[in-house]
Amino acid sequence: MLLLRLMSWISLRLGRRLSRSVLYGIAAYFFVFAPRARRHAREYLCRVLGRPATPIDRFRQIFAFASTIHDRVYLLNQRFELFQFSIDGEELVRAAQAQGGGALLIGAHLGSFEATRALGQRQAGLEIAMAMYANNARKINSALTAICPRLKLDIIELGHMPAMLEIRARLAAGSFVGMLGDRTLGGESVEQVMFLGAPASFPLGPLRAAAMLHCPVYFMAAFYLGGNRYHIVFEQIADFSTTGPGVGANAISAAVRQYVAVVERHCRLYPYNWFNFLDFWQAPPAGVPLVSGTE
Amino acid sequence: MQPAASPVTRDLEREIADLMVQALNLTVASADIDPAAPLYREGLGLDSIDILEIALVVSKRYGVEIKADSENNHQIFSSLTALADFIAERRTK
Repeated sequence: MLLLRLMSWISLRLGRRLSRSVLYGIAAYFFVFAPRARRHAREYLCRVLGRPATPIDRFRQIFAFASTIHDRVYLLNQRFELFQFSIDGEELVRAAQAQGGGALLIGAHLGSFEATRALGQRQAGLEIAMAMYANNARKINSALTAICPRLKLDIIELGHMPAMLEIRARLAAGSFVGMLGDRTLGGESVEQVMFLGAPASFPLGPLRAAAMLHCPVYFMAAFYLGGNRYHIVFEQIADFSTTGPGVGANAISAAVRQYVAVVERHCRLYPYNWFNFLDFWQAPPAGVPLVSGTE
Repeated sequence: MQPAASPVTRDLEREIADLMVQALNLTVASADIDPAAPLYREGLGLDSIDILEIALVVSKRYGVEIKADSENNHQIFSSLTALADFIAERRTK
């Protein structure tokens, strides 16, 4: 934590432009020293680009990842003037907010979650409570407090009994609850959905909960476009607020597929913003070699 | 220790077990649910979303709200008997 506090202090003192030079070093380090992540990143890039991934592709992805982490320091400290933001779908969340019934915002390890949260808060006055697994929640909480001590983050711990009751209470109070929909822990119910050409497992939980609580569901992500530019997207996935009691399994499954389709479309638009450096598919891609001849 | 369940609670237990099996599409028969076993995780093996579903069903059927901040959540879901006792004390319908 001390290191993180130091890094954050240096970043804020040196300014974004100067401290970014360090990022090339960090990105280069991961480029060289993370073999397992490299293999998984290559598989993703190969699928999304439809061709073997080159070292340049891999570096761009790692550099985008390092940039979003670095920018977190500035976003948490509300230095919005350093960035250029564009938004799609802001009117959707504003309308949902006006209705007062709360909404579930489902993201992915795609782009910068912090940018969405921070900007949602500033731009639209959206209070977003983040739901995440306990271990991550604690780690992230202490990391973020190190970066920005005056920050009060609203985090709901998943994976313990009353988690969903807490989410229900937030939604009932008209709050927005953010969750990630692209990771499974094992043990929970999942749906196999075609994603970039092969089946992958996605958790049913977030959308099952949305159906039970009769709330609208939006996809939310902030894509790093390079330099100091971010593009934020809100898009409706499903609206369970008008459906009667007992939403069927088919409707939930359809919503998961819709979520995956939206994630996939944005992966193709912003291929270097995918930050799942793990084994996402069970089977290797067919037809396209993973590694180019030169690597 | 909880006192032994009264006959009224026993009937309620059975009723709640039926509701749970139906709402959660459980593969176990309601009569086979051990009234003393924990409902969450080990025991009946329910997850947090199942707990939410039970809270919603219980609110609708008995008018009893189980809230996130109920400090005794763990007590309430510690067994079918505990859940039935909780509902029996507070039910409005």
